Amino acid sequence: MQIRFPRLRFFRGLAFRYSLFFLIAILLILFFPLLIGYGTSSVLLFIQAQKEATILTEQTVARFENVLQPTELVPQTLVQAMENPNISYEEVLRIARDFVHHDTIVFGTCLAFEPFMYGKENYWYAAYAFEKKGKLNTRMLGGPGYDYFKMDWYRLPKILNKAVWTEPYYDAGGGDTLMCTYSTPIYRNLKGKRTFAGVLTMDVSLAGFASIVKSVNIFKTGYGLLVSQNGKIIASPRLSLGNKNIIDISKSGRGQQTQNAIREMITGKSGFTQMDGLESKRFPSYLSYAPVAKTGWSFGILFPEEELYDDMYKFLKVMSWMFGISILILLLTTIFITRRMTRPIVRLVDATQKIGQGDFNAKLPVRKSKDEVAQLTKAFAVMQDELRSYIHNLEETTTAKEKIESELNVAHNIQMGMLPRGFSTPENWDLFATLDPAKAVGGDLYDFFYLDDDHLCIAIGDVAGKGVPASLFMMVTRTLLRAKTVSGTPISVVMQSINSELCKDNPSQMFVTFFAGIVDLKTGEMEFCNAGHNYPYILSQGGGLRQLKIRNGLPLGIYETAEYTSGKFSFTPNEILVLTTDGITEALNTSNDFFGEAKLAASLASLANRNTKVLTELLIGELKRFSTGAEQADDITILALQYKDSNKQETMGDRTSQIKLLNQVSELDKIVLKIEELSERWNIPAKAVLEITLVLEELFTNVVFYAFDDKEIHYITVDITLVDEHTLQLRLEDDGKPFNLLEKQMDDVFTQTIDERKIGGLGIHFVKAMMKNVEYERSGNNNVVIVTKNF
Amino acid sequence: MELLEQKTDQCVVVSINGRLDTTNYAILEKKLMDLIEGHQEKILVECSNMDYISSSGLRILLMALKKISSVKGKFALCGLQENINEIFEISGFTSIFEIHPTKDEALKVF
Repeated sequence: MQIRFPRLRFFRGLAFRYSLFFLIAILLILFFPLLIGYGTSSVLLFIQAQKEATILTEQTVARFENVLQPTELVPQTLVQAMENPNISYEEVLRIARDFVHHDTIVFGTCLAFEPFMYGKENYWYAAYAFEKKGKLNTRMLGGPGYDYFKMDWYRLPKILNKAVWTEPYYDAGGGDTLMCTYSTPIYRNLKGKRTFAGVLTMDVSLAGFASIVKSVNIFKTGYGLLVSQNGKIIASPRLSLGNKNIIDISKSGRGQQTQNAIREMITGKSGFTQMDGLESKRFPSYLSYAPVAKTGWSFGILFPEEELYDDMYKFLKVMSWMFGISILILLLTTIFITRRMTRPIVRLVDATQKIGQGDFNAKLPVRKSKDEVAQLTKAFAVMQDELRSYIHNLEETTTAKEKIESELNVAHNIQMGMLPRGFSTPENWDLFATLDPAKAVGGDLYDFFYLDDDHLCIAIGDVAGKGVPASLFMMVTRTLLRAKTVSGTPISVVMQSINSELCKDNPSQMFVTFFAGIVDLKTGEMEFCNAGHNYPYILSQGGGLRQLKIRNGLPLGIYETAEYTSGKFSFTPNEILVLTTDGITEALNTSNDFFGEAKLAASLASLANRNTKVLTELLIGELKRFSTGAEQADDITILALQYKDSNKQETMGDRTSQIKLLNQVSELDKIVLKIEELSERWNIPAKAVLEITLVLEELFTNVVFYAFDDKEIHYITVDITLVDEHTLQLRLEDDGKPFNLLEKQMDDVFTQTIDERKIGGLGIHFVKAMMKNVEYERSGNNNVVIVTKNF
Repeated sequence: MELLEQKTDQCVVVSINGRLDTTNYAILEKKLMDLIEGHQEKILVECSNMDYISSSGLRILLMALKKISSVKGKFALCGLQENINEIFEISGFTSIFEIHPTKDEALKVF
């Protein structure tokens, strides 16, 4: 037997599976810390960024305030001083101009009065001094073209009664630059009343703030933003934002959050919030903002959100690469290790496959270590040894068994050879016997032999037990019978003698039931002795059946001194004596029922009017049908002897014979036996018997196979008539569908090649070729075929 | 009917003992088909103890011959009894089958 082992594929192997498990485990182990790390880092980064931005905002605001403080403090001090009448305006102006000259961001100062407040002739009086290229220039402002009374820097302090910062403006005709002005009101005591007299201003160049704002850097592209109270952008490094109003920007397609943030910012609050970027390309950004005290300005720092996490992403990227490479290395290592571990197993598998295919000498791989695989290999080696010796033993046992079996076969042949076969009897006697052993050698026996011309000895026996011991005992019995039976000696004496011989050396206490008779062939008288054997049957011509119920002693081999008598029986003409062993009555079928005496009797009764051979064979056939499928338990032996009427008259009944057959192939046996029986009676030569049997078989099977479409039981009647000494007529009748075999085309059997030869049709060809005359008629619902044979 | 099978160096010899008819042809059919399916392509059927054959039996022999011819094997009969030989002649099978008088002669050509 060839066993096929599927080739182990990598994807099904342990190496692959272990590696996969490892990979999944490692990914799980690494994934969670990475996830937590990512979460924590982003929160920490956010807090850190918020802190940083807030501090930077405050620091920048503080810088602004540092710069602005003198700008506010100096005019306030001077204005206060001017309320004292002893301080001259010229003096104040000189101090202010001095301050302008020294201060870095203040580039101009103006002392402006109410109409006629500075001399009765002066409607306008505004002394302006400004720094240009390091030089201080002076100019008088005011006139119909420059009505400063209407300007914010003059108007607002007058109305509000306090110092104010103006919105950034371009002072044309004044400073001629983009600036903001800090304007402080001047009061004079007129007629005991504190009256507004004019303003002292300090002009601040916005360029100075721009440099501070520009110096603010956060993250990669974060920038500062200084806006006025009304949202005008005072300073920003972004050129695109220059001179615009931040409120307008926040409203141009940006989210509510952005608008809220800007509103909060310009109303002088401080905070840190998320919002859209302010440039045309909007990134989600963060804004940190705080007010610049007193001025009403606000300062903010804006930076894109993604820059906050830039470093973290970079870090993560590096980490991921490192993880990836580590996992790859780990995976390769795992595969390498598991393959190394499984390699001996694979080698062991190869070796065991060879063993499985019958090569018991296949070398198992050598393992030096003492691990599990080594133990497995060792176990396999033991198994291999055991198998080898087991197979060796098995071979020896089988050889021995075969030897015994062949010897048993020889014994069987010898035993069967000892049984007489030539059934030559005088004209008026008919003898037939058969023995069918259950095992190769059996314990049954039959025998017949002539004592002299007129005396025939017949015997049948059954040794208790089966197999070789029984057959040996049977042979001894049979030898003794032949030795002891002498013409003239009564059968009872013979039996007594056999019995005592058998008892003498019988260590295994075997015994045999035995029936022996001496038949006077002339008179039909039989002297017999039944030593514990089944009662014989006597079947008369008309089907009457009786038993010879006489016992003449114990079975042979039991008591040495046992006594045996003899009985007498006279054959009436055509009676058949049937001797059997209990192998018939005790034959079992598949449902464990015995064939039994009753069935045997019934079968025999139905077999009357047949010769001994046909009777015996039909009886055996009946028995075989009964026990189909069951194992034959015991030897089956039949001996039949018929005393025929010597002066029988030939009647018509003897010239014709009928068999009724069922539409079953097994019924063929009946045809065969019938023809055999008739051939003997009518002296039909062997060649004709063969042809008649063949034709009947072909006609009969043709009907069985093709005539009936139903599954019912049908009868086919066969009439065989001896027309004259050399002519036989066969007539078959069936109730199947019409079938005229004469219409069937005869195969041209001699010219067709092998491939043209059809299977079938041959049977009808035989009928036509072997029979002299073939006729067909449809008679009612029946087909009738009549054929004639000459011999 | 009884079938005996004997393996020689050249071929398998199947001996038919007794009557080969419609009741038992299936036994022969199974035996021959098993041999052919088992790639035994040289078969000699020995008939010296075959007492009887009907068209059912001949059918099996013809089937076996056709199958073996199709695989370029060899199928022959030997030792036909006189009466049996006549049946073969009537059927026309003598011209189709290779038939040898005895087993020994048949084995020479295998």
